[in-house]
Amino acid sequence: MKTGIFICHCGHNIKHTIDVKKLSQYFKKYPNVTVSEDYPFVCSEPGQDMIRESIEKQGLDRVLIASCTPSLHGDLFKDLLKKSDLNPFLLRRVSIREHCSWVGDDLEINTEKARRLILAGLYSAAHYVPLEEKVVEVTKSALIVGGGVSGLSAAAFLSKMGMQVYLVEKEAELGGHVRALKNIWPARKDGKEIIDEMVAELAGRKNVEIFTSTTISAFEGFFGNYEVTLATPEGEKKMTAGGVIVAIGFAPFDPIVKPELNYGKDERIITTLEFEERADTLQLPENPRIAILHCVGSRDEQIGKPYCSRVCCINALRVGEAVKNKCKDSYVESFYMDVRAHPRGGEEYFEDTQEKGVLFTRANVAEITPTPAGLVIRGEDTLFGEFFEREFDLVVLSIGMSPPIDNKLMATLFKITLDKDKFFLEAHIKLRPFDTAVKGIFIAGSCSGPKDVEESINHGRASAVKLFGFLNLGYAFVDPFISSVDPKRCSGCRMCETACVAKAIKFDEAKRVVHVEEAACMGCGLCNSTCPSSAISLKGSIDMMIDDEISALTEAI
Amino acid sequence: MEEKTNKNPEIIGFACSFCTFKASEMAGSLRMKYPDGVKLVQVPCSSRVDPAFVIKAILEGADGAFVAGCHPGDCHFIKGNYYTRRKIAALKEMFDAFSMKDKLKLFWVSAAEARRFVEKVTGMYDEIKEKKNAGKKA
Ligand SMILES: Cc1cc2nc3c(=O)[nH]c(=O)nc-3n(C[C@H](O)[C@H](O)[C@H](O)COP(=O)(O)OP(=O)(O)OC[C@H]3O[C@@H](n4cnc5c(N)ncnc54)[C@H](O)[C@@H]3O)c2cc1C
Ligand code: SF4
Ligand code: SF4
Repeated sequence: MKTGIFICHCGHNIKHTIDVKKLSQYFKKYPNVTVSEDYPFVCSEPGQDMIRESIEKQGLDRVLIASCTPSLHGDLFKDLLKKSDLNPFLLRRVSIREHCSWVGDDLEINTEKARRLILAGLYSAAHYVPLEEKVVEVTKSALIVGGGVSGLSAAAFLSKMGMQVYLVEKEAELGGHVRALKNIWPARKDGKEIIDEMVAELAGRKNVEIFTSTTISAFEGFFGNYEVTLATPEGEKKMTAGGVIVAIGFAPFDPIVKPELNYGKDERIITTLEFEERADTLQLPENPRIAILHCVGSRDEQIGKPYCSRVCCINALRVGEAVKNKCKDSYVESFYMDVRAHPRGGEEYFEDTQEKGVLFTRANVAEITPTPAGLVIRGEDTLFGEFFEREFDLVVLSIGMSPPIDNKLMATLFKITLDKDKFFLEAHIKLRPFDTAVKGIFIAGSCSGPKDVEESINHGRASAVKLFGFLNLGYAFVDPFISSVDPKRCSGCRMCETACVAKAIKFDEAKRVVHVEEAACMGCGLCNSTCPSSAISLKGSIDMMIDDEISALTEAI
Repeated sequence: MEEKTNKNPEIIGFACSFCTFKASEMAGSLRMKYPDGVKLVQVPCSSRVDPAFVIKAILEGADGAFVAGCHPGDCHFIKGNYYTRRKIAALKEMFDAFSMKDKLKLFWVSAAEARRFVEKVTGMYDEIKEKKNAGKKA
């Protein structure tokens, strides 16, 4: 066996708290190790070249890369092996960054931990065998859940590329929250206009089926061929979808959660969303006094909403501007923590609004008390350190974005994880921001955290591009980590058959042994740990690999 | 790499790729600290964990072992973790019979719960460390 070990410095990220030189020297003298090197960035082009050269010159038959966690750069290193004519499943990744150099600060302790982790990888890799990637036929169709701007933008791209699209919307109309918004910033268009344009694009396409007032009632199967059941007003409908984009949006924050604001108890206290609807019909005195509260339902640890909703500062500015445009002599005061005018042009917009005469007071608002004469706001001016009490005719609460109502339902159905704020969690915040942990299931738009219209449209389109890449060829490669049976060992007890959730194990009455239906096997390994005869084992994770890994970690070897 | 005189516990954790292992990746990215004695073996699903692995880890000198997977109902493989729960419950009874109850734990940690991961492993580590050194206290 000829193993090459490549230890990455990751700049300072690993080198800083792990003695990489000592490790590469140490493994040089290990049996079956032909090459042991450390390198500043193994993922860089020169780093990759070094590995390729070693594989080709030294005839390596195992490659162990000790670097970042295995879910990063997976395909990059696999492709590297392929290019050198080495089976990609002879690669072992060992995480010495996320699981070692970043976890502790002590160089000596970390170096020892890293040594054992690499050792475990080395012992495990000794049992690796070349595997062939499994090819599955995929259906060129996509299920898109949610017809807001993010779902619509995903649908537009996929249908344009010729993919069959099933767009499912819970409400009677497409468009989500944007449909109700007026004078959307920065486009300065009514939401309805934007939505109508997007819907018109889809309407002409034969490969788009739109289901409104519809929900998903069942979802089963695997990447490339998911079985979907819809509950439509006309009854149940079934279809096969190659992949899914979940774009169920957000729920507007409900200020009832904050009783001190007295929302819902007085008609003069409204949200930014209600302002959109009622701006033209509001009954106000001639030169009204209007207060706008920022961050309602955002950046508030006490109610479990520590995050910034990203759109509410701009919304607050929009309200202030709208009032000032209509009535120059109104008194408009915005109470903020700090103004986060996120998007491009936001800061300039903030300045323009100030110039229009909207006053900005940095404050903690304690309560709103309705009286017949007006709404009394009490709070603390946090710049002057003074308490204040002022009376207004209308208070507009700039509400934040909360997770969608169906977050838990959809999370269970599609196996998506929720983040700490209960939005959908992406597979990796920087490197895989559209993917979930499940292959072929993507998230788009504000269901994965607050986003404005532009960001939601981009997110939708990006997820669509990724899904398109997965399905376009009509077939796809999936990892060959499936179980196989050694018929000589199998006693025919059928315990694995009972356990297997995927019903992938079939009993041969004549031979009295079982076999695995490869296409159905999910690769969980449950059968492997169930079989009393050690007759069935999961490729890529066989008993011997795990056994030796344990022994290396406990230093029993 | 020299002769180690380690009084600190060594814990082997079997972590499901879809949840706990992901949480541990996130914990690392967030630079959360936990004892170096905690070392993970990545498994495709908590149901892949054969009780024999746990026993092997203990027999070979680990002070503790844990199996960690997705919360009930959230298993990527539909219901692998229910099997895990049953297997580990049975194994726990056995451990209990040998007065080794604290050496085995089962955690549910989702991919988003980096903090929970750190709390769980640190909690287990501290508990074992205290027991391990109990007799040595003055
Ligand atoms: C008051 C307010 C003002 C705003 N102003 C601006 C602005 O000026 N500029 C700007 O850029 N952004 C603004 N935004 C943000 C904007 O509304 C969002 O960026 C946008 O709505 C996100 O689109 P989405 O598709 O992700 O979600 P949504 O618009 O929420 O659409 C999600 C869709 O999914 C559907 N759905 C939900 N659950 C299911 C289910 N289980 N099955 C099927 N369908 C389902 C919903 O019915 C909805 O149609 C504002 C937001 C608010 C609250
Ligand atoms: S559990 Fe093992 S011995 Fe029993 S049928 Fe399955 S493979 Fe054969
Ligand atoms: S690995 Fe899982 S899905 Fe595949 S045969 Fe075994 S139990 Fe069934």
